[in-house]
Amino acid sequence: MAKTTEVLTTGEPLAAARLFSAPRERLTRRLRVDLLTRRLVTMGGVLIIACILAIFFVIAAVVYPLVKAPAAAQVGVISVKIDSAPLAVGVDEYREIAYLVTGGGVQFVSVKDGSPLASSPLTGLKAARVVGSSAVRRGLFALGLSDGRVIPAEVRFTVSFPEGRRRVDAELVVSDPITVDSDGRPITRVAHVSAQSGPITAAAVGAKDLMLVTVKETKALIGPSTKEESRQRLSLPIEGEITGLALDGRAEDLFVGSSSGQVTRVDLRDPDDPKVAGSVAATSGPGIGVRVMGFLIGDRTLVVGDLSGGVSTWQLLRAKGNERRLTKFYDFVPHVGPVVAFAPSQRDKGFVTTDTSGMTQLHYGTTGKTLLTMKAEGDGVNAVTFAPKADGVIVGGAAGRLSHWALDNPHPETTWRSLFGKIWYEGYREPEYVWQSTGGTDDFEAKFSLTPLIFGTLKGTLYALLFAIPLALLSALYASQFMHPTLKTIVKPTVEIMAALPSVVLGFLAGLWLAPLVERVVPGLFLMPIVVALLILVAVFCWRFVPVGLRRRVRPGTEVSLLVPIVILGAWLSFWLGGLVERLLLSGDYRGWLLNVLGLTYDQRNSLVVGFAMGFAVIPIIFTIAEDALANVPQHLVAGSLALGATRWQTALRIVLPTASPGIFSAIMIGFGRAVGETMIVLMATGNTPVMDWSIFNGFRALSANIAVELPEAPEGGTLFRILFLAALLLFVMTFVLNTMAEFVRLKLRRKYRYL
Amino acid sequence: MKRFWKSGDPFIWLSGGALALSLVMVAGLVVLVMMNGLGFFWPSPIARLTLADGKELVGQVVQREKIPQPGAPQGTPERYRIQVRVGNRDLYGADFVWVEEANIVRRDFPPDALLIERREWGNLYGFIKEVRDGERVVAQGSGDGWNALQTYLPGETETFNEIRRIEKREIGAINHAQEKIRLEIKKLGLRGPDGSPEVARLQQELETLAARYREHAASLAELRQSSRRSLVVSAAGDKEKELPLAQIVRAYRPDAMGLLAKSRLYLSRLWEFVAGEPRESNTEGGVLPALFGTVMMVIIMSLFVAPLGVLAAFYLREYAKQGPFVSAVRIAVNNLAGVPSIVFGVFGVGFFIYLIGGSIDRLFYPEALPTPTFGTGGILWASLTLALLTVPVVIVATEEGLAAIPGGMREASLALGATKFETTWRIVLPSVMPSILTGLILAMARAAGEVAPLMITGVVKLAPALPIDGFWPFVHLERKFMHLGFHIYDVGFQSPNVDAARPMVYTTALLLLLVVLVLNLTAILLRSRLRKKYTLSII
Repeated sequence: MAKTTEVLTTGEPLAAARLFSAPRERLTRRLRVDLLTRRLVTMGGVLIIACILAIFFVIAAVVYPLVKAPAAAQVGVISVKIDSAPLAVGVDEYREIAYLVTGGGVQFVSVKDGSPLASSPLTGLKAARVVGSSAVRRGLFALGLSDGRVIPAEVRFTVSFPEGRRRVDAELVVSDPITVDSDGRPITRVAHVSAQSGPITAAAVGAKDLMLVTVKETKALIGPSTKEESRQRLSLPIEGEITGLALDGRAEDLFVGSSSGQVTRVDLRDPDDPKVAGSVAATSGPGIGVRVMGFLIGDRTLVVGDLSGGVSTWQLLRAKGNERRLTKFYDFVPHVGPVVAFAPSQRDKGFVTTDTSGMTQLHYGTTGKTLLTMKAEGDGVNAVTFAPKADGVIVGGAAGRLSHWALDNPHPETTWRSLFGKIWYEGYREPEYVWQSTGGTDDFEAKFSLTPLIFGTLKGTLYALLFAIPLALLSALYASQFMHPTLKTIVKPTVEIMAALPSVVLGFLAGLWLAPLVERVVPGLFLMPIVVALLILVAVFCWRFVPVGLRRRVRPGTEVSLLVPIVILGAWLSFWLGGLVERLLLSGDYRGWLLNVLGLTYDQRNSLVVGFAMGFAVIPIIFTIAEDALANVPQHLVAGSLALGATRWQTALRIVLPTASPGIFSAIMIGFGRAVGETMIVLMATGNTPVMDWSIFNGFRALSANIAVELPEAPEGGTLFRILFLAALLLFVMTFVLNTMAEFVRLKLRRKYRYL
Repeated sequence: MKRFWKSGDPFIWLSGGALALSLVMVAGLVVLVMMNGLGFFWPSPIARLTLADGKELVGQVVQREKIPQPGAPQGTPERYRIQVRVGNRDLYGADFVWVEEANIVRRDFPPDALLIERREWGNLYGFIKEVRDGERVVAQGSGDGWNALQTYLPGETETFNEIRRIEKREIGAINHAQEKIRLEIKKLGLRGPDGSPEVARLQQELETLAARYREHAASLAELRQSSRRSLVVSAAGDKEKELPLAQIVRAYRPDAMGLLAKSRLYLSRLWEFVAGEPRESNTEGGVLPALFGTVMMVIIMSLFVAPLGVLAAFYLREYAKQGPFVSAVRIAVNNLAGVPSIVFGVFGVGFFIYLIGGSIDRLFYPEALPTPTFGTGGILWASLTLALLTVPVVIVATEEGLAAIPGGMREASLALGATKFETTWRIVLPSVMPSILTGLILAMARAAGEVAPLMITGVVKLAPALPIDGFWPFVHLERKFMHLGFHIYDVGFQSPNVDAARPMVYTTALLLLLVVLVLNLTAILLRSRLRKKYTLSII
């Protein structure tokens, strides 16, 4: 026998033995294949399981930047040769060219090394020096001169791509000077905007006096447009002297800060008749003067920085009597020294403030949070700018030192409080939970409170379960305990099919068919449970008087077939009665009654409709699991109870139900999970308005529907995109926890049965 | 009475009532969808209503309802109103009108009332006035006009189809080729500036394509010229409409049709629904692209989900060491089936579309950027998302099947010297096959009915092209697609004319329901047969 073969003998021992030989190579090949598949299956299995578990981590990874703390990295400090301390600084959107407003005009420098760039001179300066600068608004600003004039100017950056490389060019566009103070006093405080009616310049001339210069442009159809300049001098009733000016972009209100800490509002809505409209103490203490003032993007939130380092935001709110009052929104983390400069973001409601020591802080207006603190070197810091893309900050010091930071702050608007708590949004009377992710304008304040959505999800789930739990559990009890087995083989697949009905079909029926129908029969619908139950009881009662012979023909456990017509009859009866009740008790119009008596409005697509449709989707799930649990209760328990003389109902209620209660609990949990995540039904059967009220006659907006509606339009990586992922994560965690809980309960139950 | 309560029977009956109610609801829902969906294709009669003020309406009665009279005293007679589909959107502005029944003086059903299904503007109701050939009147009046219409309509429809064919096939092919060459040129440009001979050659090709396009455009113009017969219809309200015959999909006179003719029309409309292209922003015509998209997505999903789910189940049940880890994994897999589908969609967006798709675009399609190729929703990503969503179904079903196989079968095989792989391949797999199939069918049913995750991973209301066509590589997995479920949502809730779209929604829902129910019933039957088999084999 060759050593390379294994020999096996088969067949009867006496017959000629048939040799079954297998070459060793074949055996090794078989073993190799076996090993290979083992590895393959293991690898594949682990991979799939890892993939499944990765869902959580991928979603969490997208969410993570939302909660990541903002960071700043100092890019460099550059020295610029300047003739005086900078009054203002600015930078282009790629942070390549910075400009400084100094006594001698506007100077452009390279951000990289501080080397001066060819710049257009400030024409019209003559012998004067620049002593004041207004807030920079999209590159537009006004310079106050030492001889009482003001020069409106604009810095324009042009970006071109010659030969595929980016090139940024800066240009200073200077308008004609406006003579504000004919006495020639230096203009240190100036505010300037180009409103729709024309440019308006406000400047402090003297301690308490303001000069308003408005230019009205009337465009003639033919010929050159005419400009009409009007000037008004205002004496303000303030203590101390004027230290800050802020004018909103619509030129409606001028805010004047004083050295006594007051902010006085001047109503400019009628430009020919400016009115002083009250003042408030706006600084961190009495007698502490206002140092800087300015608006956040959108020109609705006023930021006030004072001499003791306090920073706060203010808004005009309509108080009683339709009167607008300046109201404080937030106090931010204060600076140590006087706040000397402020710069708003051009993208969101963020802003930076800096104090004399160079301490620079990044704040966010919507949330009232101070996000970051940076320390610029050197003393005498007095100018700061926020890069146009909100990705950098440049601080200018007296000696011409520019400190440059790059910011990593993609989602400043999200904090735990802004996502789940009440936030005081611009134009709102009080802090509220609001979800409003997109608006019409660039300066729209996004409102990302998930609370109304979570509320909506829970509301829909609650009403669905209110409808589904009683029906499903009673059905399960009947099917498991009393139903005839033959009938059960039909009923169970029917319920399974019910579970398989696509939710989009349910949603569409709910929205297009059920909602208009329900609207007509609301009173009848509320009567239905009572009427149907009564009718069934009456039927049972009458059943006892049916001759026994006839009764015998209906086998026990098939009552349900008799009940179908009764239920249909009951439904019809209750609608009829509902109409009657509406006519007799609710004066023929239940909606009017709801509004007048209960103060409820009625939406056509409301929680009632969602409750029905979603309940319909949840019933089979609860039914199936509960029925399994009830049917698996050991038969000897039931038999024992019946043998002791308990009725079938007593047995079901006192023996079967308690034994199976963990299973029923897990059924409800899983039903809850399904209702929480249901998307299409809530999307189609509610109005999708994110309101927070418990009324069954109003709609809501659920987390899931919100994702489906907004994700296709959310730009990748944006705040909305990530918040929608957070919503998905919430849903995921919610349902996963619920299901795991249910699973454990069920396992425990199984163990329990083993001992029974 | 006390005995009555004590017997517990009332409660049993009450719980039975709950079950009866659930069953009534399921049956009612299916019947409702069936009636509304199937009834739509039956040509209902065209009524001519003469109103009290002398106005005339011609159209189909859609529904009748009671007029609510809040605050009316007891005994007020009920008033009813009917909704009439008068069509002629271009003439009247709205398709539907409500008429109070008390205002109707006369209602008759003129046998020569004509219903024309148009390619644009919805149905046209009216009477034939004349048939024209260019400026020349060929036939006049209802009788002659009807005959002339029957004669000319097939030819005109053929011409129209020929125009469509040229536009879609020939010109579509040219556009496709042009687009490819443009991308090629861009790609060469990205690689470096010195691809000039190649570029010149491609430019040359573009030129020839443009020439071919001009040829086709000329023949199209000729065809359009040749189709100049038209129909003048007088509609109620003293309006008149001239309609080119090429605009007619179907013209018929329901009031003059017998049962047989109506049945034929019914079948023809049913066929158009299943196999036709949608018209009028999906509210008319067929759902073929949506049906095709649904089926294709489910098939691609099955290609992923079947092997992966089976592999995972075999690993969990046959290869992994049973212990707390495997139980934990099993629970996790089970729970995954309960995670909301929209969460899977979100995962699909974050992982498949932006992470994987974005990487594919940067590596293989840099010339098309910033237009994404794979970095946007498409049928592949949607299928993969749904595969992940349904993989627990397959795993659970397969595992159940594996658990039901008697251990003796495996042991016998191993005892005979077979390796584990051979046992698995030859013994276990064949016996577990029905379970796998059940799981797969259930997964397909679930996937076919799921919409929410698709909405964010690649479904669109109107896809310009099917994911399969005649251009290489024939299967375009990156394309967006249409889906029956999304069709329902879109037509029912996003279309401006909900009343006119409603029948379409019902029929689409019916079709989807049919697909899902058939799949589910198959799975249920398969499973019950399987159970029987195993009960026998255990004995």
